[in-house]
Amino acid sequence: MLQAPSRDYSSVLGLALEKAKNALSSKGIVFSVEEGKGFYDIIVEREYLVAGATALKEAGFDHVVSLTVTDYPKEKKFRLVYHLTSYLDYEIAGAIIGLGVEVPRSDRPSVPSLTQVWRSAEFQEREVYEFFGIEFEGHPDLRPLLLTPPVAELRPLRKDFVVREENIYEGVPKSG
Amino acid sequence: MQEGKAYVGNLDVTAKRARDILLGKVPLDKVVDWATSFSLWPVHLTTSCCSTEFAATFSPRVDGEQFGALPWVGPRQTNLIIIEGTVTKKMACAVRLTWEQMPAPKFAIAMGACALDGGLFYNSYNIVKPWQVIPIDIYLPGCPPRPETLARAIVTLQRKIRSKKVASTWVREGWRGDIEPVIPKEDLCGWAAKSI
Repeated sequence: MLQAPSRDYSSVLGLALEKAKNALSSKGIVFSVEEGKGFYDIIVEREYLVAGATALKEAGFDHVVSLTVTDYPKEKKFRLVYHLTSYLDYEIAGAIIGLGVEVPRSDRPSVPSLTQVWRSAEFQEREVYEFFGIEFEGHPDLRPLLLTPPVAELRPLRKDFVVREENIYEGVPKSG
Repeated sequence: MQEGKAYVGNLDVTAKRARDILLGKVPLDKVVDWATSFSLWPVHLTTSCCSTEFAATFSPRVDGEQFGALPWVGPRQTNLIIIEGTVTKKMACAVRLTWEQMPAPKFAIAMGACALDGGLFYNSYNIVKPWQVIPIDIYLPGCPPRPETLARAIVTLQRKIRSKKVASTWVREGWRGDIEPVIPKEDLCGWAAKSI
């Protein structure tokens, strides 16, 4: 009879990290691990992104829970982090591992899309596209998701986007 | 040509004359205003989170139907828009499209702090003020306003319609005289934008 072991989530996270490291090393992928408070980000180079994602999917990370982007205007780069976790592999279920890539900051930055690996990355990538203007090569349906096209053209979540200060009486009708 | 007589032959002219004769009578003016003010049907258009208070207004405790207001689904059968809270640019497109579909004596209530001046989302890049989209009759402050406030706004709008004869003037003249029409200045729906 299958006994459910008592789960210690820090050890589950360590186990998931070991699994991810082994999967990437066996494919010969160069990576670096960044440790934070309760999370690990595996940073790979741009050309290893799709290969690394495929290796992690084979290791049991079967879906993307979120995709975050940070804008570093001084270092002139974006950092994309795909947060991966597993439904099916009981040993690592509940642990979240980040797969990150750094993109140089330009007018039209682009990275290969991971929709071909995880289907659940599709809407996240569309949202990143409209808010940051990062284009995903090979995305099946790259349109703005939440914003209308005139707003999405402004790339509103980049750090150099300046919100116009409004006068408090601006646009108030004089009568009626 | 004799004044005050309707001529059979040109149907448009006849209908216009008949309408002028009938609506020129003062009691019928009053009937139009009275009937419009007690059949203010708001359309189900939930722009934001004040819609919970909108729902509470038409629930049994503050029974909105006792004032003659009944939320209805289709814009073509309604004559009141209650804008509930924030209006994002994408939603402003829907608000304007709904407003254009509604039949002529139509009114709008802007509800909540966000609908007045932006409220919590003041100075955001993705919201518009409702007065930039459609002409507003009544503004309600509050975050969110209580259901009693919304009921009071409906009653106030009814009084405004009856005292200023808004509906009968609108039907007679063909347009609304007391407030300016509003045309949105910016491209809300993104139809003019180049493909992105």
